[in-house]
Amino acid sequence: MQTTIITYLGTPIFGICLSLAVFLLGQWLFKISKGLFIFQPLFVGMVLGIFILWLMAKMFGVDTTWFYTNAYKPGGDIIFWFLNPATIAFAIPLYRRNDVVKRFWLEIVLSLIVGLGISLFLIYFLAKIMGLNNSGIASLLPQAATTAIAMPISGAIGGTPAITAMACILNAVLIYALANWLLKIFHLKEPVGMGLGLGTAGHTVGSAKAIQIGSVPGAMAAIAVVIISIVVDLIVPPFASMMGLI
Amino acid sequence: MADKANTTQAEKKEAPILVQMGIFAAVLFVSSLISPLFPPKFPVPTPVIGLVLLYLLLTLHIIKLEWVEKFADFMIGLIAFMFVPSGIQLTASLDIMKAQGLQLIIAIIISTVILLVVVAYTTSFFIMIRTKVFHKDATIED
Repeated sequence: MQTTIITYLGTPIFGICLSLAVFLLGQWLFKISKGLFIFQPLFVGMVLGIFILWLMAKMFGVDTTWFYTNAYKPGGDIIFWFLNPATIAFAIPLYRRNDVVKRFWLEIVLSLIVGLGISLFLIYFLAKIMGLNNSGIASLLPQAATTAIAMPISGAIGGTPAITAMACILNAVLIYALANWLLKIFHLKEPVGMGLGLGTAGHTVGSAKAIQIGSVPGAMAAIAVVIISIVVDLIVPPFASMMGLI
Repeated sequence: MADKANTTQAEKKEAPILVQMGIFAAVLFVSSLISPLFPPKFPVPTPVIGLVLLYLLLTLHIIKLEWVEKFADFMIGLIAFMFVPSGIQLTASLDIMKAQGLQLIIAIIISTVILLVVVAYTTSFFIMIRTKVFHKDATIED
């Protein structure tokens, strides 16, 4: 059975087709539901994709993780790779609002350092109250950075990199689906702060969302993705040792 | 504002899409050579370096906006789709979710909101200091 699966589904085209199919279905549902947040294409694509893979694995009688790795991942990795040039592309919206960057650079840097510092305390106490163990807490601390930075730091401070990666992914999906609603209920109107918040909490996907809101939030989210990663690099390990996690 | 005026000039000719892709590929390649130079304790991944590099090339007027603009907007428009495989990657984490239970997921959801709200309000605070204490202008034109 396993060799048959690899022969027929082991080429990248299955993963590419499945990704396109679930995302396009999500777009269609989003359109006919007139923009209901639960039908955000990314969210629908993710949930439906996981469900289909789980179902197929059950049907073929193979392990779900094995089926994901051998049937979906070859195609998924190709699409995933294009996040590299897509991240670089945020230099353009950032450059377009260079006027804002030049005027507010000090506020931007200070806000991200202080904002992350406060967030780390809140996330630490939240995780403590919810009864997570030290490894669980350490996994949550680096999530503001992009996955490629967050995962090694998580490992270095005693966390589980896979959980941190999961946190980064959920951040992005949540922000993309709920950004408008969250901005409204927390009365976030000031464009610089809005952009920095979306970039910090939602990574590049949050930045794509911020660009839809306006050129200033978009540029600020792009700069947040870069600076917050460096800030996480610098302050999360000392924070973890201060809290006795390592 | 000179930068903004440049972008609105319609007569600027955009580079062919393959040239735009070429610039992106070159920036990405150079970044991938720089990334391993950082120590393992201080990781800086290739796309982050690439973003800074491309931004610097634009700011120093080595690369013109119309040479990269179209491809960049195209790529950013596709980000949500490109993120689908990352979402589906959670299939491989189903075991972790089962083991750690619902509280981990809830903690992540609340953390996301914390990051958004705290950073946004901290920024508003610093911008308020800028206007109230230093009496600098904080109005932004759209």
